[in-house]
Amino acid sequence: MAYAYLFKYIIIGDTGVGKSCLLLQFTDKRFRPVHDLTIGVEFGARMITIDGKQIKLQIWDTGGQEAFRSITRSYYRGAAGALLVYDITRRETFNHLTTWLEDARQHSNSNMVIMLIGNKSDLESRREVKKEEGEAFAREHGLVFMETSAKTAANVEEAFINTAKEIYEKIQEGVFDINNEANGIKIGPQHSTGAGAGGAGGAGAGGASSGGCC
Amino acid sequence: MATSDSEDFESADEGQNTPIKKDRKERLSSSNYTENSRELDHKTKKTQSSSTDTVKNKEEPKSSDGWDDFDIGDDEILVAQNAVPSNTHVLQSNKNETIDSNYSQDKTTKKSEETKSKDTGWDDFDDWGQDDNTIEDPYKPIQTQPTRQETKSIYPDIQEVTEKLANTTTTSTTGGWGWGWSVDSILTTATAGISTLTNQVSQGISTVLETSIGAPDPEELARQTAKEKEAKANSPDGLESNINTNNDKVDPKSTSDAFPFRGLISEVTKFVETTGTKVISGGLGTLETIGKKTMEVLQDGDPGLAKKRALLGLAPDEKPVLSQILREAKAKADEDDRIREEKKEAKEVHYENLFDDFEGLVHLEALEMLSRQVNMRIEERMRGLSPEKRQDLKETLQQVAELCEMPEDDEDDNDPSEDTFKSEAFHERLQTATQDLGLKLQFQPIVKQYTEAIDWLSSGGELTEKQVYKRAVASLAQATALSVELYHKAGEMLLVKPRRSTADEADALTQMTAVLTKHVSELATLFTEKLNELQTENTEQIHNYITNIFLEAGNSSTYIQNAFQLALPILQIGAV
Repeated sequence: MAYAYLFKYIIIGDTGVGKSCLLLQFTDKRFRPVHDLTIGVEFGARMITIDGKQIKLQIWDTGGQEAFRSITRSYYRGAAGALLVYDITRRETFNHLTTWLEDARQHSNSNMVIMLIGNKSDLESRREVKKEEGEAFAREHGLVFMETSAKTAANVEEAFINTAKEIYEKIQEGVFDINNEANGIKIGPQHSTGAGAGGAGGAGAGGASSGGCC
Repeated sequence: MATSDSEDFESADEGQNTPIKKDRKERLSSSNYTENSRELDHKTKKTQSSSTDTVKNKEEPKSSDGWDDFDIGDDEILVAQNAVPSNTHVLQSNKNETIDSNYSQDKTTKKSEETKSKDTGWDDFDDWGQDDNTIEDPYKPIQTQPTRQETKSIYPDIQEVTEKLANTTTTSTTGGWGWGWSVDSILTTATAGISTLTNQVSQGISTVLETSIGAPDPEELARQTAKEKEAKANSPDGLESNINTNNDKVDPKSTSDAFPFRGLISEVTKFVETTGTKVISGGLGTLETIGKKTMEVLQDGDPGLAKKRALLGLAPDEKPVLSQILREAKAKADEDDRIREEKKEAKEVHYENLFDDFEGLVHLEALEMLSRQVNMRIEERMRGLSPEKRQDLKETLQQVAELCEMPEDDEDDNDPSEDTFKSEAFHERLQTATQDLGLKLQFQPIVKQYTEAIDWLSSGGELTEKQVYKRAVASLAQATALSVELYHKAGEMLLVKPRRSTADEADALTQMTAVLTKHVSELATLFTEKLNELQTENTEQIHNYITNIFLEAGNSSTYIQNAFQLALPILQIGAV
């Protein structure tokens, strides 16, 4: 599959907040109420289009169990975007956000775009965390915020795509050096000959030349 | 043929030719983008539209195929400028201020920037070699100096450079015309030659251009302005807004600076477009007339034309017959289509692509990350030890590594001959191999994949050798991807396993590796046997396929053993 860019995402957060369900909803547009515990990391991928360019999102869905923390930490590296997920019906998953955020900031590159997600917004009656609290946390820590429902698919597309847009903007601004794969961005196969040693700006322009010649 | 010909031309008169070179490059690349369209008009449109997509080669000559590109080009320049962290804003606003007062000067500045911004990003423009050097230096000063006036005084040579640039760009406009009227990429043969010619006599031609085309009419100018305003007005939310903001910044500049210039360009564009349509609808007559006229004009100023013609494969005194060239170009386009089709097919059965599609690559990447991190932990531990203990540790690590050495190919235990039992036997072997691993690995996917491959081959339907080959490569890639996933999962689970028994684990993974490598070779045999069974005259093709299948099977084996080696530190850390 030809793409202009590949973005690596990582989904993190407590166990049972719906990380794998968000991924499944985004990649397969379906919902499975009962999900196996994720061991280590699982993967998903989907193509999206931003600004007329094909972008492949490669999503690393981590296991939220405490036991896997040391393992999943080694996967943070090289992610361009992170979805930090909590469950609006479980206060403790919200309380753990600070730890997750510290972990993410420590083990990933500083430009990583982090999207805070309050999942299970369909379970309004069991809500324990107010939307305003999520917004406040996001504001305080410089994150983008959204409430989603992996079950009803509400805001799921938006969460993934808005994160990609933010990354894309950063590329355009030259914040990301896309030639450094540690930033979680790879240039699509059709650029292997076109974009070269140039700076981020020039290479960013290279990304604009999508169209797939072969 | 066209390419090599014009390459010769360019080496002859390098100084002037660069923009054309670029031009041609662009054209060639857009023809690559063009999908298999055999119809002329279709092709024309596509060439134009695809070059709109191709945001890369933005510059004045480029705009000759539709001035919409112009904005995008400017836009891109800003993008490039944004890469330069702090000065850009100053530069931009400064530009906007100075433009209205003396845009002619600013134009030259801008041009140098344009060139520069391209130079930074594009290996494609290696051809611009000689420009690179001259521009590189003046550009930086321009960026840092608040006004052009100052720049001028401090760097006297800039003006020379920029003027030179402006000249080249002007030249290229006419060059663009030469390219433009030929319109479609089908004309590659003709245009490569002619645009070079055009360039050579560009001075003369620009007069011709103006007289033959006429000055930009007010309507056209009004249309432009309206369109620009429209572009400004449109400012959707989200991501685009950023880009549109850039557009806004650029608009006043491009409007003012390009007015005399761009009017001409868009006129040329219009001319090109109408000519294009006419050519297609009205047949080749029009084009031929234009071509002949052009040739006459060109000949006046070009004593070297005979040489060029010779290079085009024409007798010295014979004028190029465009219909003939078009026919040749069409044949070439057909050939290109065929090649593209083949490439597409080659991609479909490309092992690495398939391996990636089956998530093999990403599992391998994750396993590498784990492996690296564990290795670091081991080294860290080693550093904290006394030399004696460090030696002990090294020995332990070595012992584990030895446990993981692959045994020589042992006796070929007889497989159950019935296909239906093959996958079950495979599952059993996997379970036996890993029973001491102490982990619950999921073997179903790889077993299921095996079953499906067997079923497909024995389904009794008519299969072509191509189908079998495709399926063979895909199956090998998938089996390998699933195998790599097994190592990745095993690695993760071993790292969180409460009680480690390194010797058992190492033995189990070694056995599993033996089973998996044997599996891929079995899989390959299965498909090659099928290929041999097929009744076909094309034995050479069959042989090629069979060789490739075994090659990919070897590839699979290597991937599997590499994955196993990546898991080694994970086994080792359990022992230290």
